[in-house]
Amino acid sequence: MGILSFMADFIDSLAKRHRLLPWLLAYALLLPLPFVLTILFNEYLIDLANRICLFILLAVGLNIVKGFCGQVTVGHIGLYAIGAVTSAVLSLEPGGFGGALGFGWPIWAAIPTAVLVTAFAGLIIGLPSVRLEGAYLALATLGLGESVRIFIAVTPALGSSTGLMMIPAPRIGSFVFDSFTSYYYLVMTAAITGIYFSFSILRSATGRAFQAIREDTIAASVNGINVVKYKLLAFVLSAIYAGLAGALFAHMPPGYLHHNNFTVIEMVTLLLMVVLGGIGNVWGGVIGAIVVAIAYDQTKDLVFYFMDRPIVFQPLVFGLSMVLLVLFMPRGIGGWIEDFQRNRRFVRRSEERLSGTARNP
Amino acid sequence: MALLETRNLSKSFGGLQAINNVSLKVEPNTVHGLIGPNGSGKSTFFNLLTGVYQPDAGSYIEFDNINVTGKPAHYIAEHGLSRTFQLLRLYGELSVLDNVLVGYHPHTKYSPFAPFFNGAEVRRQDKIVKDEMFELLEFIGLAEHAEIPAAELSGGQRRLLALGRAIAMRPKMLLLDEPGAGLSPVNVDNLMATIMTLKERYKLTIVVVEHILKVVMSTCDTISVLDHGQKISEGTPEFVKNDPAVIEAYLGREMADEDIRAAMDA
Amino acid sequence: MRILNKMFAGVVAAGIGITATAAFADDIRVGITMRMVSENGQAYGQMMMDEIKGINESGGINGNMIKATLMNDECKSDKGVANANKMVFQEKVHLLIGSSCSSVTLPIVDVTAKAGVPQLVPHSTNSKITQKGSEWIFRVPVSGRYYGGVNAKYVGENIGTKIAYICAADAASVGDCANMEKQMKARFGVEPAYRADVQEKEVDFRSHMQKIKSMDVDGILVAALAETMARALVQSYEAGIGEDVRRIGSSSASNAPVPKIAGDAAKGVFFTAAYAAADQRPIAKLFNEMVKTRYGIHAPDHDFSQAYDLVRIMEIALKNTNFTGSLADDRTAIRDAIANVQGYEGLASGPISFCAAATPQCRDGNRTAVLIGYTKGGENFETEVLARVTMEPDFGLE
Repeated sequence: MGILSFMADFIDSLAKRHRLLPWLLAYALLLPLPFVLTILFNEYLIDLANRICLFILLAVGLNIVKGFCGQVTVGHIGLYAIGAVTSAVLSLEPGGFGGALGFGWPIWAAIPTAVLVTAFAGLIIGLPSVRLEGAYLALATLGLGESVRIFIAVTPALGSSTGLMMIPAPRIGSFVFDSFTSYYYLVMTAAITGIYFSFSILRSATGRAFQAIREDTIAASVNGINVVKYKLLAFVLSAIYAGLAGALFAHMPPGYLHHNNFTVIEMVTLLLMVVLGGIGNVWGGVIGAIVVAIAYDQTKDLVFYFMDRPIVFQPLVFGLSMVLLVLFMPRGIGGWIEDFQRNRRFVRRSEERLSGTARNP
Repeated sequence: MALLETRNLSKSFGGLQAINNVSLKVEPNTVHGLIGPNGSGKSTFFNLLTGVYQPDAGSYIEFDNINVTGKPAHYIAEHGLSRTFQLLRLYGELSVLDNVLVGYHPHTKYSPFAPFFNGAEVRRQDKIVKDEMFELLEFIGLAEHAEIPAAELSGGQRRLLALGRAIAMRPKMLLLDEPGAGLSPVNVDNLMATIMTLKERYKLTIVVVEHILKVVMSTCDTISVLDHGQKISEGTPEFVKNDPAVIEAYLGREMADEDIRAAMDA
Repeated sequence: MRILNKMFAGVVAAGIGITATAAFADDIRVGITMRMVSENGQAYGQMMMDEIKGINESGGINGNMIKATLMNDECKSDKGVANANKMVFQEKVHLLIGSSCSSVTLPIVDVTAKAGVPQLVPHSTNSKITQKGSEWIFRVPVSGRYYGGVNAKYVGENIGTKIAYICAADAASVGDCANMEKQMKARFGVEPAYRADVQEKEVDFRSHMQKIKSMDVDGILVAALAETMARALVQSYEAGIGEDVRRIGSSSASNAPVPKIAGDAAKGVFFTAAYAAADQRPIAKLFNEMVKTRYGIHAPDHDFSQAYDLVRIMEIALKNTNFTGSLADDRTAIRDAIANVQGYEGLASGPISFCAAATPQCRDGNRTAVLIGYTKGGENFETEVLARVTMEPDFGLE
């Protein structure tokens, strides 16, 4: 408690000097991470960090539509696939080794185009939300997301069952982002920027409109919020995150995509991150992504023996933890964060009232 | 020139005619009461005016000289028609301040994408709006609770917040759906006093649905009476009180003791 | 809030745990990434671990123990790449074995090529794996480019050229279908008489079968994963297509669920594989017996034999490696030792030989496919060897 409060106070005092200071500090602290990891542990953890950054982008994006706006979507992984495949196909050389479609675009043109295409796809995945809610919406988006995967699986031009291979790594001039460390700076920057913008949205009228729709759709519409427009906007914004994560995943060495990277299982893992983190809480989603990715990594070589037959541990661990989470921690880690923040605010207000320095927030 | 006018407003749900050919005019700067026994269609009438329900064909609603028949709720709200709900429908997990900020939404000047491209402008405008909303909260007496979630307020505070949220959008007209429901008589009087102050302060036209007839009789300039979805009487409180059709509608059927007593008191 | 502090302590502890995994310097470290999701999938990985344990128990490699790590990649490329990275950079393995699925092996080839780690492929048949030009890749199974040729040659010469194709959408089956089609065209100049592309787990083949029935074809190629193939075979008889029309299976026809589920419909089905349980050599009989007692599996398919052969080839190569203690040098030395394996005779249908050049000719070690037919379906199915064909190293390359 003590150390957390101290850190929170410190961050608050930084934010008072300049709004961006805490962010810059976080960025500065994360800059030397690859070197720290290599010295203390090993290079592989940088690769793990890179994947965590992609998960963070996905979870934060999903949190916009599911957490802020309350729309149950299971199609997010389909958007991730669209971003990945679009950027890959655009940047692959025509008639390349893999035999898939290629346009030979420069990567820095391919990635933004892929993000735009995914944003548009997000609009389409969001269309059922105009008429459907809850489980029905989940089913409709599940169908749309899964049909994206199946379309990739049956289209040779998009890799079908062989996959898209040798997708080029990003480069600036002669510098190629093909090592764990260089790629880390790409995805880490993207993740931090993503989190920052997620807060910007949450704290603007746009974010308040999303939350109003989540809390009470009818009241929101009567308060002058165009519910259809904002629901679709939430889907589009989350698609932008998914598209960027997908494109960065596609170009991450070894540059290979296969449709089975985008199945319902991956979607459930993503949901686990958001649920563990606490639906609606940005930091919760970030922590959820980190915890799930590390847990996944640490359990992957666990095999136990039952009647002399090896049983892979991981699916069991993940299935069980999902059930236990929903039962005993429905608000996730984000619930703790919110309680902590609320307590702090309460303590601070009481102190101010006692010392007579109460102010308007 | 009426601020709100309905002509032949009708709405049926399946075979049930909830509202039947109601034509009504509300003059600017008045308090217009809407009364009627349970199930007479008062709430449905509000839902039709605010676009929550779509009226049947042949209906016509004009607000502030604009035809708003069949328009979506947010469009009508943007033109200055605000309302409260009988069940409040507050945004429970949002803070008190955020609740009134959502109420202000139609006047937001930046685009929904602005947080991405123009964060400085978003913060500048939000700062101005927040100060303004804080003033409103101070006026209704919720300023010191600005940061706590709406769900944690007491019942009376929540009614005030619902009112504050409806006023935050600076409406031309405010529809109040049973503002006093569940409050003790003293609190109802306080609430009505607050509403009247707000009316003066923000130059509002008010339409109020209320069960407690005493409240309606003492504050309204004009009263319309609905029964079985039809308008059966309209006029000054004095006129309505003595209209045989109204007495018939209220006394000619079972009704809650409290309502009878309230009606007689008035 | 105490719980948060506890969690923090947990994270620190996990971090310390990661450093503690650094192995003893004298061990030879081997990483295995496999699809450990099905019953057989787990048995393949388990067999490798058991065989490596056997090597250690009989004295190891010139006195050094092999420390093997087995990871599950679920047949997913992202997880397989993560496993490969973890084993190369964290476990610091000398040799990587993987994977079961072509779609996982394909990207791992780039990981091992860049990091300079020798990689032995146990099951993947996709011909592109060795065409990427990596110096570090060695394939134990028969490449897909050979299978298509063997199948087509046998079918065209012994059955006929009017063939109907049913192709499921999984990676192996799509490849098998395409290879067969290409070879039938190259050898006999014929197009498929009928072709149906179906879902990976299709359940209803009746309309296709009715159309095929009316066409009077010589044979039907069913390219699908085991369970799907079994369904298609059963439905072909239900549709009334006679026994005179031969059923040709894709490579997964060698998996035990096909005869078990298809029952009598499996009889007469033939396919190409790298190993036949009906093999009469003593080594094969011993192997069948061993798999049965150890893993309770009747008649092992070629994925078992390949897993076994791979461990033997690894053993030979490691015994011929001079370990210096420098990881990079040792990896290179192991690579060269594998490249020097010539004419290994194991369970595989033909000898396995590698060579130094980073070409498919050198790195697709096994060029002999065996044609196998089911003579009896059901739980205790039986097979026979129809033919054994060795292809030229260049075959199937463009």
